[in-house]
Order: sequence, then structure tokens, then C-alpha cells
Amino acid sequence: MAGHGKDYEKVYVWSVLLRVYHWVFALSIFVLIATGLYIDWPWTNTWMEGSHQWTMALMRYIHYVAGMLFTMAVITRIYLWFFGNKNEKVWDFAPITPRNIKNMFTTAFYYAYLTDSHEHRTGHNAMAGMSYVMTILLAVVQFITGFYLLYPESSFFVSLGSIFGTQQTARFIHHILNWYFAIFALVHIYIASWNDIRNPEGLISSIFSGYKFFPKDHH
Amino acid sequence: MDRNMFTGGFPGTISRRGFLRACAIATAAMGLPMEMVSKVAEAAEDPKRPRVVWLHFQECTGCSESLLRASHPDLAALILDLIDLQYHETLMAGAGPQAEEAFEKAIEEPNYILVVEGSIPTGDYEDFCMIGGHSAMHNLKRAAKNALAIINIGTCSAYGGIPAARPNPTKAVGTGDIIKDKPIVNVPGCPPNPYNFLSTVLYFLTFKKLPPTDIYGRPLFGYGRRIHDQCERRPHFDEGRYVEQFGDEGHRLGYCLYKMGCKAPETFSNCSIIRFNDVEVWPVSVGNGCYGCTEPNFWDTMTPFHERLPGISLPVNGGIIANATDIGKKALGITAAALAIHAGIGVAKSLAKGKKEEE
Repeated sequence: MAGHGKDYEKVYVWSVLLRVYHWVFALSIFVLIATGLYIDWPWTNTWMEGSHQWTMALMRYIHYVAGMLFTMAVITRIYLWFFGNKNEKVWDFAPITPRNIKNMFTTAFYYAYLTDSHEHRTGHNAMAGMSYVMTILLAVVQFITGFYLLYPESSFFVSLGSIFGTQQTARFIHHILNWYFAIFALVHIYIASWNDIRNPEGLISSIFSGYKFFPKDHH
Repeated sequence: MDRNMFTGGFPGTISRRGFLRACAIATAAMGLPMEMVSKVAEAAEDPKRPRVVWLHFQECTGCSESLLRASHPDLAALILDLIDLQYHETLMAGAGPQAEEAFEKAIEEPNYILVVEGSIPTGDYEDFCMIGGHSAMHNLKRAAKNALAIINIGTCSAYGGIPAARPNPTKAVGTGDIIKDKPIVNVPGCPPNPYNFLSTVLYFLTFKKLPPTDIYGRPLFGYGRRIHDQCERRPHFDEGRYVEQFGDEGHRLGYCLYKMGCKAPETFSNCSIIRFNDVEVWPVSVGNGCYGCTEPNFWDTMTPFHERLPGISLPVNGGIIANATDIGKKALGITAAALAIHAGIGVAKSLAKGKKEEE
């Protein structure tokens, strides 16, 4: 590109399915946190709740519907771990190969402003990859605890949920993870913006368009 | 004879264990922490029991009746020994001139608690309620003069109640409409829960002041929350499971009584929590909707008792969980389709690539 004195190439990184997953996941998390916090602490009760509006009932309903979408998004992501394109596969970014473990440390140093070296990767860097793998695994715990609470009479979810012991334990885990997702979303948006400002790769636009931009000689 | 029965008074009254249990229940009902039980018990055991003058006006004596029938062991004994009851027309042995004399004597010495049961006729109708040759208005004003505070037991003395229902033939009003210069606390209900009354008295004894109240003068500990929010049938409400007719399948299964006119969503009280008379029941638990008897003017505003207004909004059709499950199934279908398409494209691509390499 003129002005930067460098030529950039446009690389197709994220498939349609991954982008759909991402936005369903993001939207459902936002709605789930908002309604979940209300259900935990129904602060409008006794002044809004009445014969013409049922705030708690509405919040629970929205929470359950968003929970269904969240579950489907998680299932889609796990499918893409194994059957997605090369950037979407789990071994591309999970810190399980020597290349990724090295990348995890260089990224950590880079984020801490200790080095200026930045590895151009089409997919996730290993540090982001690690947090996404953890997030998806915690998301599985989150929807299982959620279903266990939603269908307390269903033998399937009860047998699945019995690993949590009681409904109260499941509720506790579900509640703690709500905060995990809130913190994750905050950090995720911050680091994505930070990266987008530091590196003209089109990181944020890629999750809309599917394309990233790299210097032609980055390989 | 020592009238303080808690420390071993009359045989067959209240045991130490029963007394502490009642104090613990009252402490919990007041929303106080359990460490307060000993303080409440201490206040209740104070030999200087507060003198109480209890007046009856236009009412059915249901409030006194409810209090006496509180079947928690010895609650009646407790309430009678907790306070120094100077005058109570239903309970006192005296009658006629003796009773009148007792009344005069009781209100002579100041700083007693005045408990009022029943509404007061006003204006031209003042003499519709006469006690010992004096009108209710006259007696109330005289008794209130030396009173420390007034506790209205029941909806009648609090807001006028049934005697004040349209067309209010006696122009009846509650105590608060007549007495303006004394602290007043309302313990409404038709009848009120005995524990709310007992707890109000105990609160007064413990803290030497009346409990904090809402805009209708009701203690927040008993009337701070909506019945609907703490009803055992509430999950059925959210799931759209309603009794459509008394005696139907839903009624037998304990579904929500909202469509049968239950007024719990507009009624503030703790009925569903502390229940009545130690047999652990309250109207909704035995299959009848709430009539809203703790609310001002309930007889006018809550009737007809077994009907809801037309066009009421219900939270769901078919139930929140059922709806969410339905959406979940559809989302599962769409996801499965998306994954199938994705996988199909992948397989087709690799086949095409393989073919190309062959060529």
C-alpha cells in the first residue's frame, strides 16, 4: 500500500460459519450477563413487578433463549476446532506444539511492551488461542450447569449435572462463570482494539469480512 | 403472685423452651439477625411490662380471635403475659359499670400502648358505635390522649376495612384519620397474622420505638414484600400453569390461582412466609386466591375476589421453559444444518481437488 512503503496482501482467514459463531456467541454472552445479573439480583422487584408486567419472567425467558443460542455457538466452535479451515483448527493455536508454545511467550512479552517483535499469524496467536480454548471449555461447563438448573427434572441433565452435586453447587459455578465471561469480554475487546491499533492487519474488520491484511513479505 | 410467667410462674403456662422458640420466631419475622433473640427475650422478660389498653369498635373481633387461636404453643399466654393488659372488652372478666371503671382507671396513668381493633364511625353517624354510653370517637380520642403509641390491629382500625366499604353507611374511618399527633403503626389483615402483631409489640419492647413502616404505616418486616414474589405457586405462574376452574386438574396439582382472581401480585404481606396459626397454612396454600386483605380499601378495590380484570397480561403462553426449549430445538436444527453444509462443502472441495490431481 502506498504511504506505508509496503505492499499488503489480502488473506481470507475466517469462514462464514466462524463469523456467524462469533457474533452469536458475543451477542448471547452480552444478553446472558445482563439478564443473569438481573435474575441473581432482581432489583426492580416490588416496584416494577405487578399485574401488567412480569420483569422477572421476561428476564428468565430471554436468558433461556440466549442460553440456547450460546450452546449452539459453542457446539459450532468445537466442530470448527476439528473441521474448520486451517486457521480455525484447534492445533493451529492451542499451546500444544513447540511453535505455539514459543509464540505464547513472545506474544506475552509483546503485550507487556518488553519486545517489539510481532509474529504475523493468519489465525490466532497462541496466547489468544489458549484463552479461547479455555473459554470454550468453560462455556461447556456453563451450559451444562445452565441446563441442569433449567431442567431439574430431566433425567439426562440430572445425570450430567450430578457431577456438581447439588443444584446449589451448580448455581454457584454458573454464577462465578458469569463473571468469568464478563471479564473475558472486557479483556478480549481491549486486546483486539490494542492489536488493531498497533498492527495494521485489519484484525477487527476480519471478524466481519473474513479478511486480514499482511505485508507481502511476512512469511 | 409473680406474674412473670417466663421465669417459672403459673403451672401449665409457657415453658422456657416454648418461650425462647416464640422469641426466635418473632425475631425472624422482624427480619432481625438471630443474635437478637436473646435481646428480644430479655425485653420480653422485663418485669415492667408495658400497659396496654385494647379498644374494640366497628369490627367482628376476628383479630382478637385470630390472636387467641394462634396455635403455636402458648402464644396466647405469651401475648397476655408479655403485656400488661389493662382493658380488653372480649377478654376481661368485668362487665357493665365495672368495665367502665376499669377503662377510666386504665387511661388515667399515661404511657400505655393503645391497641385499636375496628373502625370508627364519624360525623352524623358517630353514635352508630357506642360503648358504655360513649361513642367510639369519644373513647378513642380520650384513650389516645395519654397513649405512648397506637397499634392498629386489623384492616378496620388501620384503613376502615369492611365497615368502610362502599357505600360506607357509617362513614367509618381508620384511627389514623382521627388521631394525628401520636405515632401509629398499622398491622392490617383480615385478620392480621398474629406474629406480625406480636413482632410489632416485641420490636417496641426491644428498641423502645415503633418499627420502620411503608407509606401505609405497615411495618416493613411484615409488609415490605409482595406476596406474589414469595408464593409457593409462583413457579407455576411463570410457566403458564394456571387453575382455570376450582376443582379442575390444575387445582388438584397446585397450579397458580392468578386466573381465579388471586390478588397476591398487588398485595404486600408475608403470609406465604410465616403462614397462619402454626398449622402451616394460608389462603393460597389451601387452594384459594389471595383477597388482598392487607391493602387499604381491599373490599372495594379487590372485588370481585374470584375474578381477574379482563385483558390481564400473563407472562407467557405455554411457559417460559417450554418456549425456550422450543427455540432451543430450532436453534439446534439450524446449527446442525449449518454444520452439515460446512462439512458438505469441505468434502466436495477435497473431491474436486483429488480429481484435479488425477488429471
